[in-house]
Amino acid sequence: MHISEGFLPAQVCIAGYGTTGLLTWFALKQINRQGNPNEKIPKASLLTAAFFVASSISIPIPPTSVHLLLNGLLGVILGYFAVPAILIGLLFQAMFFGHGGLTTLGVNATMMGFPALLAYYIFQLRFNLGSKKQQSSSPSQTQSHLPSHRQSLRQLGIFAFLGGTLGLALTAFIFFLLMVTLVSADFDAQAEQTAVTYLTLAHLPLAVLEGGFTAMLAVFLQRVKPELLTGR
Amino acid sequence: MASANFETYVEVESSLHSWTPRLKLLSLSLLMFAFAAVKHLPLVLPMLCMTAIFYSASRLPLAYLLKRLRYPGLFIFMVVLLLPVTSGDTVLAQLGPLAVREEGLVTTVLVVCRFVSILTLGFVLLGTTPFLTLLRAMRSLGLPTLLADMTLLTYRYLFETADMLSTMQRSMQLRGFGRRRRWFRIEGKTLLQLSGLLGTLLIRSYERSERVYKAMQLRGYGQLKQPQLAAQQPIDRRSLLLTGMTILAALGIVAAEITFLIEPF
Repeated sequence: MHISEGFLPAQVCIAGYGTTGLLTWFALKQINRQGNPNEKIPKASLLTAAFFVASSISIPIPPTSVHLLLNGLLGVILGYFAVPAILIGLLFQAMFFGHGGLTTLGVNATMMGFPALLAYYIFQLRFNLGSKKQQSSSPSQTQSHLPSHRQSLRQLGIFAFLGGTLGLALTAFIFFLLMVTLVSADFDAQAEQTAVTYLTLAHLPLAVLEGGFTAMLAVFLQRVKPELLTGR
Repeated sequence: MASANFETYVEVESSLHSWTPRLKLLSLSLLMFAFAAVKHLPLVLPMLCMTAIFYSASRLPLAYLLKRLRYPGLFIFMVVLLLPVTSGDTVLAQLGPLAVREEGLVTTVLVVCRFVSILTLGFVLLGTTPFLTLLRAMRSLGLPTLLADMTLLTYRYLFETADMLSTMQRSMQLRGFGRRRRWFRIEGKTLLQLSGLLGTLLIRSYERSERVYKAMQLRGYGQLKQPQLAAQQPIDRRSLLLTGMTILAALGIVAAEITFLIEPF
């Protein structure tokens, strides 16, 4: 789901670079706030490389197969580093495969980076929910009703699912909105609105699939390597 | 993915190869944005001619361009099929239930020509500049250190990670993965196995990153406040001339586009 070269007017491409600049500035500011960023750079870079090659994995949906977008998953795992990771991934895709483009890099990065950040915030909400549950129960209840390992995995899976689903659904919405409204000026407004709605709705099953995959992966990582999931 | 060609640079002698990288990056980017601004048919021919001049000046083989255009060309195919029959009111021809419309056809020609021109210019930039030189040029133009370091490290480990994934996928296939496929049914077990594959790839990359960071620390990474950039390559007269001509061409396209907007033909 990339916008290729030549589809968007120059003004939109420049505006895309502007929004990506803002998004990257915000992400870098948050990364610098979190302490020694140098320590996290190799981790984020190697995981970016892993995500880049993982985008070639195809999910069989008989009789065809699909490639996952993975932006929600990037947000869930990398947190604020998802924004530079997406920017780098898109640059490489444009350079090596001609997928996307150099002039549309800004638009594509905002289209995928913004939902990735939202996915990260949604995934972090699980901490708020957990602390509220603890506050609402009395100390004795807390002792006896500590959430079991299975419950916490389920909770983690649900938030990862929401993050993954939102990542693709929001990206699909922005993609179709831009493509339908900006590629040709000769569509009528009502038809444009209908097309955007239906095309986004048609992608909801894929968003659910992406959410399910994100949840499965988050649960797997929680079981095998919990420190890989971004904590607070 | 492991067999994908990540190398875009072609080593031949040309004036574009010796063009100072940061000026080349700036000028060609400006020209690409100018091409993206083209909305009127009379400007399509000059745009294609400029693209052809740049490509022939780069002395890159034609096979390189055709090979690189093949994959992104699949995306443009959808537009060629859809736009002429869905956009506009003026019917040019009726093909059964489908009406070919003038406005849609004009938009298709514009999109396809912009696509080919911008993409070709991009390949000229990448084909005449090694990746690391390009990254250094971006760094000298103000790319933040964190982004530059991440890009460099990602590029460094991309090939090895791709090999790792390829080995893992092969071993899954040898153990019977993907042999049985049911039509019209998504299998949860397959999804679970694929999530395990990606999860293992992430864990291996994460563990390797810890070793890489320790090795980098031992070599002094993070001790300098700002990494020192190597002395800038001096700008020669030919580079200045190429930069001036490219910027003039970009401004010419934008000026012509504005003229067409004010006085439509």
